[in-house]
Amino acid sequence: MTSRSLSCASAPPPSVGAATTMTTSTVSMTASPCDSPSPAARPPAGTWQLTWRVRDRRGSVLFDRRGTAANLGLVVALALAAIASLCAGSLPLSPLAALQGLAGLGDPMNVFVVRELRLSRLIAGLATGAAFALAGCLMQTLARNRLATPGIIGIDNGATAFAVASVLGVGVGLAPPPMALAGAVTATVITFALASDIGTRGYRFLVAGIGVGAIFGALTQLLLARVAIDAANAAYPWTVGSLNARDGASLVWLEIGLALGLVAALWLKRDLACLRFADSVATGLGVRVKRSRYAALGVSIALTGLAVAVAGPVGMVALIGPEIARQLSSSRGVPLVGAALAGALVMVSADLVGRLLVAPIEVPVGIVTAIVGAPFLLWILLRPAARFRH
Amino acid sequence: MTPASNATASPLDAADTHADHTDGAGSPLAAQSLHASYGRGRGRRPVIDDLSLSLPAGKVTAIVGPNGCGKSTLLASLSRLHLPDAGAVLLDGDDIQRLPAREVARKLALLPQETHAPEGLTVAELIQFGRQPHQGLMRQWSAEDRRIVDEALTAANLHALADRPLDAMSGGQRQRAWIAMAIAQQTPLLLLDEPTSALDLGHQLEVFELIRELAAAGKTLAMVVHDLVSACRYADHLVAMLDGRIIAAGTPSEVVTPELVRRLYGVTCDLLLDPATNSPILTNVRSIRAE
Repeated sequence: MTSRSLSCASAPPPSVGAATTMTTSTVSMTASPCDSPSPAARPPAGTWQLTWRVRDRRGSVLFDRRGTAANLGLVVALALAAIASLCAGSLPLSPLAALQGLAGLGDPMNVFVVRELRLSRLIAGLATGAAFALAGCLMQTLARNRLATPGIIGIDNGATAFAVASVLGVGVGLAPPPMALAGAVTATVITFALASDIGTRGYRFLVAGIGVGAIFGALTQLLLARVAIDAANAAYPWTVGSLNARDGASLVWLEIGLALGLVAALWLKRDLACLRFADSVATGLGVRVKRSRYAALGVSIALTGLAVAVAGPVGMVALIGPEIARQLSSSRGVPLVGAALAGALVMVSADLVGRLLVAPIEVPVGIVTAIVGAPFLLWILLRPAARFRH
Repeated sequence: MTPASNATASPLDAADTHADHTDGAGSPLAAQSLHASYGRGRGRRPVIDDLSLSLPAGKVTAIVGPNGCGKSTLLASLSRLHLPDAGAVLLDGDDIQRLPAREVARKLALLPQETHAPEGLTVAELIQFGRQPHQGLMRQWSAEDRRIVDEALTAANLHALADRPLDAMSGGQRQRAWIAMAIAQQTPLLLLDEPTSALDLGHQLEVFELIRELAAAGKTLAMVVHDLVSACRYADHLVAMLDGRIIAAGTPSEVVTPELVRRLYGVTCDLLLDPATNSPILTNVRSIRAE
C-alpha cells in the first residue's frame, strides 16, 4: 500500500464551512499507481490526490505530478537566482554573507547593502515578473492565442503612457499605480471596442491591440518630447522598463494586487482549463464562458497595470514566463503558478544580467528581456505545431 | 433580448401545421415558437422562424436540410449556445437560458463541430473533462468519476488508446474520444453537430453505431446530419428543415418522399427501401436544372 494518511495537523483540510466537525475528518495523500482498497478513488494517471472527509462529505484535490515537480524546480531555480541577485553588485558578497546580511547578522555594511538596497529590488523583480507572467498566462488562455499577451495587445503601453503622464505631472495628479491601472483599462476598452469581441476573433483582437499599443507608445514619446530634458531623463526608465527607478508605494500596491490576483486566478483555474477548448465545448461542460473570460481579463489587466507602475513595460516576460511553464507542465490544466514562478525567475535573472553585463553601467531589465524575448517570439511563431505527434 | 416572453405557453399552442406534435410535456428537450437570428442592427439575418419541436425521449432524432436552412442554429439554440430572439427552449420543462450552467451541463451534453483540444491532451484526460460539471474546487475526483470515465472508455472502445495524445489519433478515433467525453458527462440528453462530417465510411459507421448504442441505453439524442440516407438509417425520428422552419417531422419512412427531397435539395430522385434495414435510400438522383 503506497498511500499514506497524513494527520490533520500536518495537512489541515480546506474546510467547507465545517470547521467544527474537523475532529472526524481524515486526510490522505494517494498516488496513482496504487491498487490498495483505499476508500478514496485512485486518482487519474499523472496526478497526486489529496483527499479528506468531514463527516460524510468527501473532498479531494488533484495535483498534476509533472506540474508540481516543475513548480518545485522553478522554486529552487528562483531561490538560486534570488541569492545571486543579493550577492551581485558593486560590493560583491559571498552567498553566506548575503544570507547573513538578509538575516540582519554580520557586518553592518553588508546588512545595509542587502536589506536596504538589494532586497527591495529583488522583491520588485519577483513581484513584477510573477504579475506580468500571470497576466500573460490568463490573457493567452482567455483569448486562446499564445501571442495574446498584455504587452503585445497594447495594455503595457497604455499603462506606461498614463504612468509617465503621472510622473511628469501632466494632467491629473494621481500616483503612478492608479494612473497605470487607468491606462491599462483604457487601452483594453479601446482594443475591445475595435475588435468587438474577445476570443472568438483572435486575430482581429490582436491586430486592434497592436494598433492601440502603437498609439499609446507614440503618446508616451510625445509626452517626453514636450517636457524639459531633465524630466524626460527621469522618465526614461519608464519607456524601456527598469527595476532601478521603482517606488516603494507602487510596490506595495503590486504586492497586494498580486496576492489577490493569484487567489482569483486559482479560483478560475478549472474554468480556464475548459476555456482552452472551443466556447461551445466549455459551455457544454457548464462553464459560464463570458463571465469566466471577463474575470480572467480583469485580473490580467489589473496585474499588468500594477506591474507597469513598478517596473515599466517589461511585456516580454508575459510571453516567456507562461511558455516556460507550459513546456514544463502537462496539458491537463493551465499552469498559473508555474507561469508566475517562471516569470519571476526570468525577471530576476534578466535584471541580474543587466546589472552585470557591462557593469558599472546598468542595462535596463526591459532591454535584456527584449533581447531574449525576440528570439523566443520567433520560436513560438515558427516551431512545429505538434510536438507530441508520434 | 426577450428570450422567454412566452415560456409558459403550452407547446400545443404553437399550432404550426408542420410542427412536431409529439407531446412536449413528456419531452426532455423542446423548442417553443423559437425565433433566432445572427448579426446585429441592419446586418441582422433571421435564421429560425417560429419553430416548435420536441425531441422524443430515448430516441435518436436527425435534423436534416440544405445548407443555411438553420439546422446548426437550431442545435445551438437547443444547447443554449445561441440566445433566441423569442420563444424558448425547455429542458425538462424549464427555460434553458434561465437554468444554472452547471445544472444544464449535468442534463445535456454537446458534441460541437469545432473540437479543438489543447496540444498533447490524452484521451483519458479529455474524457475526465466530461466529469467537470459534477465536480467542484474541493471535490475534484471521486470513485464515481473513476468508474464513469472507465465506462466511457469502454463504451467508445478506447481503452487501448487511453493514454495516447488526441493529436496523434485518426479522425474517427478522435471523434469517438469526444463522444466518450460527452458520455462521461452522464447526461440523459446528447446533441451532436455533424458528428460524422469529416469521417470516411468505416469511421462514420463506428460513430453512428455508438450513437445507436447510446439510444439503446436510454439516452435521448439529436444530431445534425448532412447525409439523408445515413439519417434515415440511424435515426428514429427525422426533422426536415427549410428556411428556418420544420417542413416535415416523423419516422424516416413516413417523412422521406421524392417530393420532400425535391423541396429540400432541389433534386429529383427515386426512393427504394433498403432490403437489409427497411430504411429509405435514394437512387437515380438528378439535378432539376439539368432536366
